[in-house]
Amino acid sequence: MPSPSRSALMRHFDLVGQLQPAYHQPQHAPYPDAIDHAKYRALLRSSHDVGGEPDVPIEWEEKEEEQWEANTFATCECLAWRGVWSAEERRRRQNVDVGETQYLALPYYGRWLLSAARIIVDKQYVTLTELVNKIDEVKSRYEQKSAR
Amino acid sequence: MSDTHKAAPMVDEVSDFEILEMAVRELAIEKGLFSAEDHRRWIEYVHTLGPLPAARLAAKAWLDPDFKKLAVADGVKASLAVGIDWINGPPTKFGTPSDYCSFRVLEDTPKVKHVVVCTLCSCYPRTILGQSPEWYRTPNYRRRLVRWPRQVLAEFGLQLAADVEIRVVDSNQKTRYMVLPLRPIGTEGWSEQQLTEIVTRDCLIGVAMPQPGVTSNAKRPVHPAVHPIHTGH
Repeated sequence: MPSPSRSALMRHFDLVGQLQPAYHQPQHAPYPDAIDHAKYRALLRSSHDVGGEPDVPIEWEEKEEEQWEANTFATCECLAWRGVWSAEERRRRQNVDVGETQYLALPYYGRWLLSAARIIVDKQYVTLTELVNKIDEVKSRYEQKSAR
Repeated sequence: MSDTHKAAPMVDEVSDFEILEMAVRELAIEKGLFSAEDHRRWIEYVHTLGPLPAARLAAKAWLDPDFKKLAVADGVKASLAVGIDWINGPPTKFGTPSDYCSFRVLEDTPKVKHVVVCTLCSCYPRTILGQSPEWYRTPNYRRRLVRWPRQVLAEFGLQLAADVEIRVVDSNQKTRYMVLPLRPIGTEGWSEQQLTEIVTRDCLIGVAMPQPGVTSNAKRPVHPAVHPIHTGH
């Protein structure tokens, strides 16, 4: 495939930007004849591939790290260290498989955490019931603590 | 009897992320996917990370032309001189699973300025630079830097002359980068320690340039953590 021209690339990025959920284009389940080549290509772009998309300037900020964020980082690294996931599948799960809305709307480590929960269930180390029960157990521990 | 400290909140504020984090960690340990000791060692390791080794590498390169040549040719080898072993390093003895062993040092010249981004995620040379800043991870920085680099650098306070070429380098899962900025004038005769102090994290990413007397990143708003990391206690 020949490389696209610069202006074609810029048109592509602009279109991708407009297709993001926040713009709420009327686009849900369109007729097939509504999808031209440019729109097809833009729709197939994965959610993390944001380079070149238009956006407005924002104020650059620093952020203090939450304890759960540091723990999530360590958990994800330990899962990799001990062979539960490879870097490839980890990136795909965190950046692509979450889908556009979760990709943009979850906090950075929220995506990491969700993908860690999903990998241990998907690979059948933990059943979904065990995960749900554990979440309830942790919640009730907190409720008891705060009731004291 | 006086009680000067604040009353405890009625309900512990705990987010869904905090609950899920504990649940996943506890289950992984219970199922033997990794040990509590593994996790503890990781947290400990993360607390040792920061931009200091990369700053020292830059200072050494400014002082020693042979070392600069090595740094530009083989960043992994040059890192050993500042105590960073990408290949056999801690905490696993094979480095970190998500930071690969290809590390490149990008040398600025008076006419070429490098700046680093990761458009696809947030790849960053953690091993030698510590955790990435939040702004580096934002879709906004990743969207705009590759298309409007001069404007974005200006927002960071870096105004470049029109004849300076900007090279935006996109990190990826295999290769991580640091910028070797120009040694500023007014630092003649400085020691390695003095030079290290002016090479801030932002200089190493490429959104700032070192200046005598400037030893920290530009002041920006800091979003505080609800439950910040316990350090050491």
